[in-house]
Amino acid sequence: MTTVKDGAPVGQSSRADATATQLDPRERERLERAFSVPRSRFLLGVGAAVALFIWSANGAQFDFLKLGEGASHMGEFLTRLFPPDFSKFGLIVELLIETLQMAIVGTALGAILSLIMAFGAASTIAPRWLYYPCRWTMNVIRSLPDLVIALMFVSAVGLGPFAGILAMTVGSIGSIGKVFAEAMEAVDRGPIVAMEAVGASKRQVIQYGIVPQALPMLTSYTLLLFEGNVRGATILGLVGAGGIGLELTTAMNRYEYGHLCAMVICIVVLVTIIDQASAIIRRKIT
Amino acid sequence: MSVVANPAPTGTASPVAAPRDEDAHVRIRDLRVRYAPDAPLVLDGVDLDIHRGEMVALLGASGSGKSTLMKSLTGFAPITSGTVRAGDVDVAGLRPRELRALRAQVGQVFQQFNLIGRLSVLTNVLTGSLHHAGPVNLLGTFRAGERRRALELLDRVGIGHKANEEARSLSGGQQQRVAIARALMQNPRLILADEPVASLDPKMSRVVLQLLRSIAREEGIPVLVSLHVLPLALEHSDRIVGLRHGRTLVEGRTAELDASSLAPVYDIEDEEDEG
Repeated sequence: MTTVKDGAPVGQSSRADATATQLDPRERERLERAFSVPRSRFLLGVGAAVALFIWSANGAQFDFLKLGEGASHMGEFLTRLFPPDFSKFGLIVELLIETLQMAIVGTALGAILSLIMAFGAASTIAPRWLYYPCRWTMNVIRSLPDLVIALMFVSAVGLGPFAGILAMTVGSIGSIGKVFAEAMEAVDRGPIVAMEAVGASKRQVIQYGIVPQALPMLTSYTLLLFEGNVRGATILGLVGAGGIGLELTTAMNRYEYGHLCAMVICIVVLVTIIDQASAIIRRKIT
Repeated sequence: MSVVANPAPTGTASPVAAPRDEDAHVRIRDLRVRYAPDAPLVLDGVDLDIHRGEMVALLGASGSGKSTLMKSLTGFAPITSGTVRAGDVDVAGLRPRELRALRAQVGQVFQQFNLIGRLSVLTNVLTGSLHHAGPVNLLGTFRAGERRRALELLDRVGIGHKANEEARSLSGGQQQRVAIARALMQNPRLILADEPVASLDPKMSRVVLQLLRSIAREEGIPVLVSLHVLPLALEHSDRIVGLRHGRTLVEGRTAELDASSLAPVYDIEDEEDEG
C-alpha cells in the first residue's frame, strides 16, 4: 500500500525530490572537466590583489633596483660586524638574563590578564554588554605601537625593566587576548551541551566544557607570546625600558660593531633555544 | 497492547489514542512544539507515558521529531502547547534555576558521546555530579565520596580499568559507556539516550543497549532511547513508539510488534512499491 503525503503519492514525491537534488547540467559538465577556465570572480579577485600590491609598493617606495645598488653598502656593514667581540660576554649574559626575566614576567601577567579579558570577549561565553567593551578595549590596545606603550610606562615608573614588563603585559592583552577568545569560541559544542544537560552552572560549563578543550591552544599561543616577548624585549630597551636593547643602541651609537655582533649572536642562540623548547612543549600538549 | 495508526494519508492520521497511566513517571499530553511563531509544528499532538523500569524505543525518520521530543523533557525545546511532566515537575514555564535542577535529574546520552577528550575518564564521570558540587570544585577537585561512586559506576559499565586514561584514547563503545556512567553519576530519575548507538558497530551497539536495559530493569530508572535500526529496537526495548511528521504513528509493547508493523514509520513499504 502506498502511503500518501500531502495529497501526492510518496513515490512520485521521491522522484521529484531526486530531480531537485541533482546538480545543474552545465555545472556538472564544468566539474567533470580536468582543466577549466577559472571563474570570472576568481580572476577579478587576483587582478584586484595585484593592483593593491602595486599601489602599496609604489606608495611605500619599494624598489628592487635600489636594493641591488645598496647591496654593497650592506655587505660593507656586515663585514664591519666581524669578528664578533666577546670581551664583554659577562655583561651580555647578564642583560640577556634580564631580558628573559622581563619576558617571563610580562608573558605570565599578560597571559593571565588576556585570559580574563578573553572570557569577556568570547561570544559563546559573554553577554553582549560585556562582549563589545572587551573587544573594543583589545582593539584599542592592539592599535597602539609597543614603543608608545613602553614610553608611557617609562614616563610613569622611570627607566628600567619594570616599565618594559608593564608594556609587555598591556601589549599582550591586545594581541593574545583576541586569540584566546577565538580559541574558546572554536571549541566543540558537544561537551558544552553535555555539561548543560547535567545541570552545570555557567561557571562549571566554562571550567569543564570550554577551558579543557581550549587549553592546548591557549598554551601554544602563550608560548608564542613568550617567544615574541623575548624578541620584543630587545626592542623595548631602545626607549630605556630595560633588557639588552639599550646596550644594543649604545653599541651602535659608539660604532662598537664587534660587541654588537656578539650581542646579536647571543640573542639568536637564546631565541633558538626558546623556539626549540616551545616546539617540544607544544608537541607534548597537543 | 499495540496500536498502529492508519498509515494512509498522514495529513489526516490522528495520533494513537492509547490508554494513559496517570502513575507514569513521564507523562506527555497533546504536546505541540514549534521553534518559531511562523515555523511548522515539529511535534503535533504527541502523547507518551514512560514507567519506572521500562525501556522505551523511539523510532522515526530524520526530522520526525524524536530529538525534539527528548529535548522537550529537559526544557531544551519550547513547549508551544500541551503538558510535559517528568516526575512531579511540569517542565513548561520552569525558571532557569529550576530547569537546571530538573536537568540534573535527567541523565542524557548522546550520539557523539560528548565527552571532554583531554580529561580523564574518571573526571568525565565526575562531571555528572556538577550540579550538586558547590564552589569547592573551583580548582577541579571532587569529594572522595563522589570519586568512590564514580569508580564504582565505571566498574558497573565494565571499564573501571580505564579510569585514569584520557577519554579520547578510548574506543567509541568505551566512550559511550563512560557517557552512561556520567549519566548514572547524576542519580537520574530518567535517562534519555538520543541515538546512542548510531556511531557504533553492531556488536558494540548491542553491548550499549543491553547496558541501558539492565539499568532500566535493575535500578528502575525509565529509559527513553531513540534508534534507527528496527531489529535493535525490537531486541532491546519493552515498548516502541514510532513518530512520523511529528505525530505518533505506532505505539505498542515490543513483544506485540514486528518489522512489518513498524515499516510505515520509515516509509519502507513505499520504497518496495517503487522497486
